[in-house]
Amino acid sequence: MNAQTSNVQQQNGAAQVAVPVATHAKVDTKGLPEKITIRNLEFFYGDSRALKGISLSLYANKTTAFIGPSGCGKSTLLRILNRMYDLYPGQRATGDVLFDGDNLLRAGQDINLLRARIGMVFQKPTPFPMSIYENIAFGIRLYERLPRAEVDSRVESALRRAALWDEVKDKLNANGQSLSGGQQQRLCIARTVAVKPEVILFDEPCSALDPISTAKIEELIDELKQDYTIVIVTHNMQQAARVSDFTAFMYLGELIEFGATETLFTTPRDSRTQAYITGRFG
Amino acid sequence: MAEHTLKRFDEELERLSATISEMGGLTESQFAQSLVALREGDTEVAEQVIADDARVDALDLAVQEQTVKLLALRQPMAVDLRMILSSIKIAAALERIADYAKNTAKRSIVLSQGTAPASAVAGIDRLGRLVRAALKDVLDAFAHDDVDKARDVWQRDEEIDQVYTGLFRELLTYMMEDPRTITACTHLMFMAKNIERAGDHVTNIAELVSFRIAGHGFDEVRPKGSASLYAAGSPR
Amino acid sequence: MAITSNHPLYNARRRRNAIAKGLALLATLFGLGWLVLILGVLLWEGFGGLSLQVFTEMTPPPGSDGGLLNAIAGSIVLTVLAVVIGTPIGILAGTYLAEYGRHSKLSSVVRFINDILLSAPSIVVGLFIYEIMVAQMGHFSGWAGAVALAVIVIPVVVRTTEDMLRLVPDTMREAAASIGLPRAHMVVRIAYRAARAGMVTGVLLAVARISGETAPLLFTALNNQFWSLNLNAPMPSLPVVIFQFALSPYEEWQKLAWTGALLITVTVLALSIIARSLTAARKSQ
Repeated sequence: MNAQTSNVQQQNGAAQVAVPVATHAKVDTKGLPEKITIRNLEFFYGDSRALKGISLSLYANKTTAFIGPSGCGKSTLLRILNRMYDLYPGQRATGDVLFDGDNLLRAGQDINLLRARIGMVFQKPTPFPMSIYENIAFGIRLYERLPRAEVDSRVESALRRAALWDEVKDKLNANGQSLSGGQQQRLCIARTVAVKPEVILFDEPCSALDPISTAKIEELIDELKQDYTIVIVTHNMQQAARVSDFTAFMYLGELIEFGATETLFTTPRDSRTQAYITGRFG
Repeated sequence: MAEHTLKRFDEELERLSATISEMGGLTESQFAQSLVALREGDTEVAEQVIADDARVDALDLAVQEQTVKLLALRQPMAVDLRMILSSIKIAAALERIADYAKNTAKRSIVLSQGTAPASAVAGIDRLGRLVRAALKDVLDAFAHDDVDKARDVWQRDEEIDQVYTGLFRELLTYMMEDPRTITACTHLMFMAKNIERAGDHVTNIAELVSFRIAGHGFDEVRPKGSASLYAAGSPR
Repeated sequence: MAITSNHPLYNARRRRNAIAKGLALLATLFGLGWLVLILGVLLWEGFGGLSLQVFTEMTPPPGSDGGLLNAIAGSIVLTVLAVVIGTPIGILAGTYLAEYGRHSKLSSVVRFINDILLSAPSIVVGLFIYEIMVAQMGHFSGWAGAVALAVIVIPVVVRTTEDMLRLVPDTMREAAASIGLPRAHMVVRIAYRAARAGMVTGVLLAVARISGETAPLLFTALNNQFWSLNLNAPMPSLPVVIFQFALSPYEEWQKLAWTGALLITVTVLALSIIARSLTAARKSQ
């Protein structure tokens, strides 16, 4: 449903491009609630500064894409949002990342709870070494003690949400790692969704998948937007253009340009953005 | 602007621009020749203009094919996308202008019987020269990515409109004074209308030149916040 | 110039290749030959003495018939006990190295010491336990033997546990963390599960290693002619019995020593095969 409206938007976007009089779609961000607000964020790997003074807003129920050449810091930025960097020593962030107003970088932040609220899907599909059913139920049982029937229905709805149910309903006890790459990735999305997060982070979710699986994941992302705030890091600019409402272009640890996706991909303001998205980089 | 990492892409874009330029040159000469045909009552020139319209149409088709191929195979973004989209539209505008030239040539054959008031023909010629000059300038602007020149052409449309309105009244006067000229003057009126239309297309091309370079036309003031919310990492 | 099959450089290279291949094959045959010879003699001599009696009767006094029952039972008890003591310690230590202290100074020290322990002569372990247990208690005992074997088990299990946990990709840990799983849960419920086959293999290899150890037992559990499962008393074991019987002048004892050696070899072989198939199953997953 949402996919259709977004398609319509895209078509409108294309039409506006063709008629020069209305090049700029008017995107009013004033009315949009900010789910995450990043202010003056810096990030360090040991002594080297990987992110420099990043400030941007991630809007609720919108998809924001981070694009940029390798090493620009887009994945680093994403992994700050669920404090994944905490797993590794010598990495630290300064500045503010307000998640519904609460600075998620502050000391004493309950990181496990935070990660339950901000889910993540990775580049490589990472099903746990257990059955398809258990892969989903595992996360559900972490925070809720539910009767078996309830868990069953939650597993089913998560798998349906990830458009995987019809493919796996007859083999829920099969090992999750026996599925194809695309199915594994949707299993991971189902696992993330089952925990009922508010934000879902996608770290190059399709880079290991074939075009058909990629299309399925993109369609999913578009649908998930109804209920979640989505952030996606991608190397594939067309993918960013297809799935996102807002795009941030990063280069050498800096945020170069942030704006409505249709604007950024038709009339970027910064020459570096222009060079990157038109394939004139380096 | 820097080159694409993919050299073939650059070559294809250059070829597209070259096709547009060729089409522009041909259209300009068609338009000029149609004025010659009218001014001198030369039916041979007129026939040539009519026959050569097919060449413009063929170039229009070539532009379409090239743009479809570029869109399908290169997934152009930003300036490249605007360049390609504007090319289709510029080609379409040129094709229309050439059509008007052809129509003018056809009517000039009818008028060569010699019943048209000479001063009215001179008026049409004057209007035609204005549009022709605008067409030449806008093609120059296209060739040199010159937004200022395109803006200048765009602003001259008002003058063309005024001349057209004056010419229209003049022709009405002729027809009222001497009803025998009605047939000829009606033809002249259509010619004037067609030339004025060609002028409108020239204006469109001027806007497209601006769009392909800057991303917007002339009559639109950039509303704040509609483009990139903020660039270079500075907060709004 | 196009390269053809009779190019001089190419021909020279081909000759050198043939020579190297031939030498490698010879070395392999030489090494394998001894192994086959050892196994052949062992099978020949061992099967000769194999009978039901071996599993039902105690080790005999010199000059009479008997079996190896007390030694087999003692070996099983010592091995099981050593594994029960050594495995948890080994797994926890390995877990620390792989999951918690991956970059800490402490873990590089631990890892280094563990590597030394892994390659330490087992007689050193025997002497050490003799000093701290047997000498203190005043007598040889099954406990001392089990502890000595456990000391050998620990480094093997530490090493395999760490290696196997390191094979679990970090993306799996990140995935577990990304749904809000606390670290300890992640280790137990995800990492152990993913590394399970490898860790079991490690324990099996440790069992294989200690089931043939003689030196540490000589100083600790010593031996016992009779049936004894009392861990506070000296305890018989296959390797020690083999050691003692093989060196004796009595033919019956020598025969039993061969049979015991065959039993240990078959057991170790079986454990290795199980361990290998577990690893293979993991890889094919």
